[in-house]
Amino acid sequence: MTQNLNAVMLDPTAETQPEQRPLCDRPSTLQGLTVGLLDISKPRGNVFLDHLETLLSDQGAEVRRYVKPTFAKPAPVDLRHEIATSCHAVIEALAD
Amino acid sequence: MQARRIDVAALEDPVEALFDRGWTDGLPVVPPTEARVLRMLEGTTRSPQDVVAVVPPDLVECTVEKAAINAVMAGCLPEYFPVVLTALEAICTDQFNMHGVLATTMSVGPIFVINGPITERIGMNSGVNVLGHGNRANSTIGRAVQLIVRNLGGGAPGGIDRATLGHMGKQGFCFAEAPSAWTSLAQEEGFTAQQNTVTAFAGEGPRLLFDQQSRSPESLVRMLADGLRSTVSSRMVMGIDAMLVLSPEHLSRFIDAGWDRSRFLTELSELLIIDADDIIVGAHGIDEGIPTGFAGLQLPKFRPGGLLIVHAGGSAGLFSAIIGGWVNGNTGSDPVTKEIQL
Amino acid sequence: MHDINDFERRGIPGVFVASAPFVDAAEIQAKALGLEVARVFTAHPIQDRTDDEMHALAETAFAELVEKITAP
Repeated sequence: MTQNLNAVMLDPTAETQPEQRPLCDRPSTLQGLTVGLLDISKPRGNVFLDHLETLLSDQGAEVRRYVKPTFAKPAPVDLRHEIATSCHAVIEALAD
Repeated sequence: MQARRIDVAALEDPVEALFDRGWTDGLPVVPPTEARVLRMLEGTTRSPQDVVAVVPPDLVECTVEKAAINAVMAGCLPEYFPVVLTALEAICTDQFNMHGVLATTMSVGPIFVINGPITERIGMNSGVNVLGHGNRANSTIGRAVQLIVRNLGGGAPGGIDRATLGHMGKQGFCFAEAPSAWTSLAQEEGFTAQQNTVTAFAGEGPRLLFDQQSRSPESLVRMLADGLRSTVSSRMVMGIDAMLVLSPEHLSRFIDAGWDRSRFLTELSELLIIDADDIIVGAHGIDEGIPTGFAGLQLPKFRPGGLLIVHAGGSAGLFSAIIGGWVNGNTGSDPVTKEIQL
Repeated sequence: MHDINDFERRGIPGVFVASAPFVDAAEIQAKALGLEVARVFTAHPIQDRTDDEMHALAETAFAELVEKITAP
């Protein structure tokens, strides 16, 4: 496979950043923020997420629920866009 | 080679991995494997750890090796690499002021004109669609330089690059001048026709200058002057340079009538004397303009040497092109020509 | 992981929940993406659990989940 040929690449940057990209900025609290719960559509994951919704609501977060069509593929772009424009943070569950 | 190695898991697509890391200009790049970078390094006699230039905006020393990694990513062949290195040197000068070119909200990016026998040797295009796409060397040399500025120098759009509009040539804008009976851009800068050179110019996108009816040089030069008056802004004089790309058919109007380059420039410059009363603040109901203190003066559109003339393009078509520049002089960017070291 | 990678790219902090056997796969995936995608692992298996057991798993994971999408 061509992928194997490409397995090691040389860094084109000044190498001042760590090898890994940084995560984006986090809010200090979830209170008053909207948290998206993304169900990957595996059995029982919804029950896990139901309870997370309760716990998040207790902490003052607004919860929005989303379901992606299949756990086997990335969420469709429209769904990702909707979540990214409606939520301040997202929790995706549950792969087993 | 000393660059950090980045492992990509065997099942991951390396092209996607390069996007995810923010190391592309929006188009896919070629994964810079050791084998490819080694091959690129064969394109130069310079040692991999030689410092080519200090790259803005972060002022990072760019080694030959780092340049080679980015040249691989851009899609260059090893024989293009000396051109890439010289183009990088040209923009990383006080004279060119790449930091300013990046940071300005105006639309400019580095544009490279290549002269000399190397253009044919590496298969550059100076003919049909010369300012467009489709030729590997033209498309990747400028791109390699822009990737170095982005990846190594830290100058990415939305970060230090603050262009309001930009233009697609910022993806990498490089072309060869076609030889003609006139002296070339490089010869005007004191080089010989046998020397290989890169001229870097901070420019916006090209604009067509249409004239299909002029049969005399006197008529065509007037039409060209008419178009050039509005370069960047019809209200701007001397502060901005421009590149005029004369097509073969337009050029032949002058050559056939016995005009050489200096005659052409003299005639053109006379036609580009602007009546300041027409462009001062408030003239003709327009608030934009030069200070009213200039009223009554006659001013040249371009400073001496501020109009760069290049010959290129397909053999059929009575069009030329204007590439407007950015602020010139100490506060802006001046064109830089450098000889390519093979 | 790809979804969370995309959310991070869009500036939305995200965390991914998987069961314990996915620890290694997630690490390889994170390395490939060049992003330490935030992730929390639960006990395995999942699919035969009762509702009460699922709630307990959520209780256990909750503090870590919050911690990974906030920065107090």
